[in-house]
Amino acid sequence: MNEHAKPFSGRYVSSDRRVREDTRFVAGAGHFVQDIERPGMLHVALVASQHPAATIEDIDASEALAMEGVVAVVDGNELSNAVNPLMNGLDTPEVRRFPLAVGQNRYAGEWVAAVVATSRALAEDAAEKVKVKGEKLGYVMDPEKAMEADSTPVHPSHGSNVLLDRTFDWGPVEDDFARSDETLKLRVTWGRNSTVPIETFGVICEWNAWENVLEVWASIQMPKYADQIARALGLRGNDVRVYYDVDVGGSYGVKRGIKHTVLAAYLARKLGRPVRLIEDRLENMRSGDAHGPERIFDIGVAFDRDGTINAMKMRALDNAGAYAGRAPFQLGKPIGAIVGPYRINSVQYRAQSVTTNKAVQEAVRGFGQSPTNYALETMMDRVAEHLGMDRIALRRKNFIRSDEFPWEIPSGSKYDSGDYHAVVDKVLAQSGYEDIVAERDRLRADGLCAGIGIAACLEPSGGNSSFEPLLNPKNRTSTWMEGSRVNVDALGDVTVTIHTTSSGQGHETLAATVVGEVLEIDPDRIRVVRPDSLGSLPGNSPVGSRMAIMLGGAAANAARDIKRQISAIAAHSMGVAPDAVTYAEGVVRGPDGRTVEWSEVVDIAHRRFHDLPEGTNPGLTASFIQQVPTGVALPKDGKAQMYPCYSFEFHVVLMAFDPVLAKPEIRRYIIGHDCGTVINPHIVKGMTLGGIAHGIGAALLEEFSYDAEGHLMTQSFLDYLMPSSNEVPEVEIVHHCTPSPFTEFGQKGSGESGYLGAPAAISGAIHDALRPWNIHLNKLPIRMSAISDAIASAKENT
Amino acid sequence: MKMELSGSEEIAASRQDLWDALQEPAVLTECIPGCKEMTEIAPDDYEVKMQLKVAAVGGSFDGKVRLFDKDEPESCHITVSGGGTLGTGDGTAKFTISELEPGKSRLDYEGEGEIGGLVAGVGQRVLKSVAKHLTKQFFTALKKHFGAEKAAG
Repeated sequence: MNEHAKPFSGRYVSSDRRVREDTRFVAGAGHFVQDIERPGMLHVALVASQHPAATIEDIDASEALAMEGVVAVVDGNELSNAVNPLMNGLDTPEVRRFPLAVGQNRYAGEWVAAVVATSRALAEDAAEKVKVKGEKLGYVMDPEKAMEADSTPVHPSHGSNVLLDRTFDWGPVEDDFARSDETLKLRVTWGRNSTVPIETFGVICEWNAWENVLEVWASIQMPKYADQIARALGLRGNDVRVYYDVDVGGSYGVKRGIKHTVLAAYLARKLGRPVRLIEDRLENMRSGDAHGPERIFDIGVAFDRDGTINAMKMRALDNAGAYAGRAPFQLGKPIGAIVGPYRINSVQYRAQSVTTNKAVQEAVRGFGQSPTNYALETMMDRVAEHLGMDRIALRRKNFIRSDEFPWEIPSGSKYDSGDYHAVVDKVLAQSGYEDIVAERDRLRADGLCAGIGIAACLEPSGGNSSFEPLLNPKNRTSTWMEGSRVNVDALGDVTVTIHTTSSGQGHETLAATVVGEVLEIDPDRIRVVRPDSLGSLPGNSPVGSRMAIMLGGAAANAARDIKRQISAIAAHSMGVAPDAVTYAEGVVRGPDGRTVEWSEVVDIAHRRFHDLPEGTNPGLTASFIQQVPTGVALPKDGKAQMYPCYSFEFHVVLMAFDPVLAKPEIRRYIIGHDCGTVINPHIVKGMTLGGIAHGIGAALLEEFSYDAEGHLMTQSFLDYLMPSSNEVPEVEIVHHCTPSPFTEFGQKGSGESGYLGAPAAISGAIHDALRPWNIHLNKLPIRMSAISDAIASAKENT
Repeated sequence: MKMELSGSEEIAASRQDLWDALQEPAVLTECIPGCKEMTEIAPDDYEVKMQLKVAAVGGSFDGKVRLFDKDEPESCHITVSGGGTLGTGDGTAKFTISELEPGKSRLDYEGEGEIGGLVAGVGQRVLKSVAKHLTKQFFTALKKHFGAEKAAG
């Protein structure tokens, strides 16, 4: 099928090597925003709105301004006159968003004013004294109510709460429904959760008036961050310098504090002093604008009695919160894997995004894929239940077969490669699946509720952001490139550049490994640096599980260029043609056995122009801008090639709980994982384990829940529950490698692994455990109280 | 979040004395927990300044209090609305005084309110018990007021 039909066998790639970043993190030597001090730095605290929606008639800051250390109080009127609205992904120009509410606020906790003082404590004290006067307005919290024509619009000038309502028909959906033996409908709801990093968002902005440059240090993971800052502030692109050597203390999508940054930047310019804004936990939880998708799925599925799934209709209604931002695109990514790993012939997909008076959504690990996978896998379980078929057998029957790749799904994306049957077989064999079934039955005999959960799903990775032009025709994006540069200095040492921040993904290890692989030199000898944004090549930051593919590709290709240059210089010095020499471990060998050492080539390149081949520039440096593999065209007719690579995971989980207390306990957790060639096994393992922990949170615990009066009830870790070591089990990982034909080493993405299937698997296990009562719990998170209440009422009714 | 509060207390005071005390800003300032100041801005209309601590959250609360539907000395409605660093609160309550015997009355109260902002989000688990606790503090202070008055008289 392709040159990577067999797994890549490398010198350094896939080998058991340490993650170089770990040392500094474990030693407490990371370099975070909180660690950065600037002379004369000021600090910001925010005045939060108390109501889900209210006008802002008057802000009285006189008492605050009279307090010790207070330098300024700024409101939305002042700010909106000075900066442009923040970027809006969709074509909804009346849904304007500024860092501070203008005229009215749109969710409880939204920032109304910023207080700047000489310390954060003084700013907080003063913020308490700012008096905001206004009238309460109507509000809407429920996405279905928000869809109704007479609902209170969150943005009156937009006219309704509907940001997006688009129906795609891929293939003969109605015909497939008509010809199928059976149909089934279901509704499931994904609760509003997120990634909630230990480090809240933080930013320092400093206006360097002598260079006319805005300097930014931020806990950021955001594509085109510097551009967005420049646009909002009306600066030139080269007036903004973002320092990429700042460590980000956890992200998985949500560290996108553009509103924080624009506010801090405005204040820094206005006041002529560095300004730091670091959220406290409350600001982060209720107003950091970092909640994840909240989504209702209505699914219709058509299938034959033998278990063949023919067609699916999926409606996904997402509650975007008060402003649009980039959140609605989280309905778009799943289009690239809308049928999961299955051969479903036709699909209708209706994507709806509405505004409500909740905090704003941001990108979260998987960008909408995990909710979709949960819906798909619940659908598969229901079909199996309906047909009385084994859940694994049903999945196997519908899997795309390994010899069918590349496989084009109805929405126009081609899956690169995979061997789903093999991964399932491996997991069942290695986990001793029969023993798991026996263990479940033994637990049941002991009077416990026990169940096995199954989930098979995909991780689309390395995409071209094609959901942007697909969902917003004015958007013409067809590249989502990433750059890297490799320099060989005059002493012969190698330095590689990365042009984005690290949130712990191990990019430095990745870059060093692939460059070491290509140049056949020890990666430990390679330095990796992160120049600031003004010294950087184009890039799009780590989103969409792309860095192994894109940064890995860019660095490998730049290294390949270096290798070509070294070979050419050496060949010239031997007086032979460039293609007559061979390169091995930094030494170039001629056809007659003569060799030219690395140091000799470096000496020629850096000092002896006269010995260089004609037309060759001095110095040894190479840059490479990697285009997304398979990303060649804009979407057409509602179809798009969304992602180049598709990783596969298969989860098996055994859970048990007492029927009265119903505290779910995970007894076994096995995941089969195929992300193609693994660059560094420790990084992939860490991603997968963390993803499963995150998925346990989404399935059982985590939710930003609002009461009927529009107030966030989970503003701290007292109420927003996260999985701890107590809830996260030991996970058994079963590896499989089906390389991608489209990437340098056959690698695929793994930054979202685990999270993409764990919620579905856990929900499935709970349902299997509740089978005696035929209970369906159709909303995540499934809290222990929901389980025990459902069992209690089922017992009453029998 | 919505909250309801009701109860009844026996106070060693005649119906009229209790009524008078509940209409007197000085007495109320003394008895309402955390009340720093109560200013009459119009008949039966007051501004209050409070300093409170609920769970981990402490802060100030500025509000308006209005008495209405008064049926002296038996029953009265009261609305409270306001906000501060702690959050917002709006509520309406009715209290009824019945004389049990000379110098002893019973006060029945019943009301509901809506709490918003920080205190609703962070203090939700303890809000009901805090409300009960504050109410108890109020009546303890009120009883003490009449006890002290009696001792002084």
